[in-house]
Amino acid sequence: MDILIYGVINSATLALMALGFTLVYGVSRLPNFAHGALYVLAGYICWLLLNRLGLPYILAIALALALVAVVGGAMYQLILVRIRGMSISEIIASYAIGLAILEGLRWGGLKGGTFTLPSFLDGSVDIAGVSVDFQRILVVVLGALLVGLLYFFVNHTRLGLALKGMAQDERAALTLGIDSDRMAVASMALGSLSAAVAALILLPLGSIVVEAGYHVLIMAVAVCIVGGLGSWTGAILAAFVIGFAQILTTAYLGAHFQVVVAILAIILTLILRPSGLFGKQKELEERV
Amino acid sequence: MVLAAMLALLLPAGAALAAKPIVLGCPLSTAFLYGWDAERAINLAVEEINAAGGVKVGGEMRPLKVEVIDTRDLEPGVPVSEALMGVEKLILEKHANFIVGGPVRSEAALAAMALLSKHKMVSILTTGALTPKYHAMVGKKPEKFKYLFRISGEAKWMVLGELVPCLSDIGKQFKLDKLFIMVQDVSHARTGGKILKKVMSKKGWKVLADPVVYPTGTTDFSMGLLEAKKKGAQVIIIWMDMPESAILLKQWYDMKVPALPFGTIIAAAEQPGFWKATDGKGEYCLANVVNAGNAPSNATPWTMKFVKAYQKKYGMEPEGYGTSSSYMAVYVLKDAIERAGTINSDKVAAALKKTDLMGVYGRIRFDPKTNQIIPSLDPKEGAVGTVFQWQAGKRVVVFPPKIATGKILLPPWMKQGK
Repeated sequence: MDILIYGVINSATLALMALGFTLVYGVSRLPNFAHGALYVLAGYICWLLLNRLGLPYILAIALALALVAVVGGAMYQLILVRIRGMSISEIIASYAIGLAILEGLRWGGLKGGTFTLPSFLDGSVDIAGVSVDFQRILVVVLGALLVGLLYFFVNHTRLGLALKGMAQDERAALTLGIDSDRMAVASMALGSLSAAVAALILLPLGSIVVEAGYHVLIMAVAVCIVGGLGSWTGAILAAFVIGFAQILTTAYLGAHFQVVVAILAIILTLILRPSGLFGKQKELEERV
Repeated sequence: MVLAAMLALLLPAGAALAAKPIVLGCPLSTAFLYGWDAERAINLAVEEINAAGGVKVGGEMRPLKVEVIDTRDLEPGVPVSEALMGVEKLILEKHANFIVGGPVRSEAALAAMALLSKHKMVSILTTGALTPKYHAMVGKKPEKFKYLFRISGEAKWMVLGELVPCLSDIGKQFKLDKLFIMVQDVSHARTGGKILKKVMSKKGWKVLADPVVYPTGTTDFSMGLLEAKKKGAQVIIIWMDMPESAILLKQWYDMKVPALPFGTIIAAAEQPGFWKATDGKGEYCLANVVNAGNAPSNATPWTMKFVKAYQKKYGMEPEGYGTSSSYMAVYVLKDAIERAGTINSDKVAAALKKTDLMGVYGRIRFDPKTNQIIPSLDPKEGAVGTVFQWQAGKRVVVFPPKIATGKILLPPWMKQGK
């Protein structure tokens, strides 16, 4: 039972970490390697607003979410737009921005384990004899809610449908008057917002540390590669595959083997099914 | 007349500042507690010494100068070679006369040994590296490694000399005997965990499983804690120098695991800011900070003097286990240089071997064979450690008994054994 419960929690955690990354790639084919940095940035901004300015928690959360979404949009508008379509340059540029954010935060004093955010709910509950704290239950609930909201947004709003159109066929979308660059800005802002939401739900479980940025990026990339780049369904399924594999590894092989699960999943996917579980990169399949 | 008197008063410090400085090269992982606390403590000692006129080398007063290089060796995934490059840079580019501080990670400190002896560089290891291999290697090749000293504790003494007696006391006092061990996947922690399992089993404790090993950077400890709870653990030994150990304690609190958490090394809980960062969820956690002076106590007359000086300069109590030892290393080096009357490596190393002074954490002497500081449970006899417990927002020293300022308490959701 503990494997089932903590497997679901771990999978929801991974899904939350990866949603923003897969959203941006799915819509604008932009691999946002600053995703992890935006995650840490959101946590740090919220911490600053809460502890330095003394704002109420809910206001600090709202402002942190908005600011990170703006940062994400600005990243595209000011830097990434110039190298649009050049995949390697996009990876290098976005990774460099991420590196600058993370190491800048470290240089600015984000060190040690004392930067933390309060839990939304304290305490724990026994589920079938397994003790689970409320914040972890919230991770699952809010994770599912976020997926639902994003699904609704993409399928039932004007902007969401435009984004979906871009993802399906950019040229056809252009002929219908959808502005490709504006959509890319919107997807980057939305992806950054998702990273920030994940951060503000997950960081109260631990501390805001620079290393989390690198960890989140690796996990997001692993989930997206296994699930198939740009596929939402694939990302959620992959989060569950990797999430449960990690918990099973911890339970039966030892916690220190957990670290290889994500890397192994990437390697196996690239060998056996390079476009991932739900990927549509036929050229990759054909090349292999 | 007044001017002349003022000049005469200022002369020693002024003369020292005009002389060529003695460069202390400090290879430290500055983004982590055991790096930045050491850097702060070294700077504090250097400021005090320079303000008092500097170091007397022969007939000349010379100031100390600190050169720090971030070795990043405590960061996950950073190769040992990075730390070695840092040490070499301090020697070749910064022209360090002595190395004080790290490398901090045991693996990096061990790898740097050959490099330091190649350059005949006197080094005092003050923080991080706890592996017993370090002084064992000095003992094995005393001529080659005669320049290498360690002024902070090491894993073997920490387990056998401090942790085991402290656990035995806890066992007797609260009738507890079931142990669960959680360690980080690094050399000193794995070694410490294995030794502890072996020793405590012999002492009649039930060690419920092999030490559970977590990779550096782990953010979820729930499966391990559930196992500890299921198996009826009464004390959980935690040996981790990563900041994520705070997550472990938060999970322990949220899951109300009925076992006393004892951080043999637990970086997160050592810091004074830990209480606020965890909203008090780390209450009752025991933490070993290796040397006295890293939490307030009256081990020696110098202990609180140091604590207050640190507090005055940095606005908080000494933070982690590399603080008092790094501070003391500068004073010990000053003492050795003054006795040697030179900064020549061979002569300073020989003088260091004869060190015998009452410091922040007790009597400071080095083992003549291994250059390892001589530990003790009595500050009058040797270097004493400190185990404290978080109680109502304060770090209360509970071990060793000679310097204890309070008694160990059990969390309210935990019952005394039968």
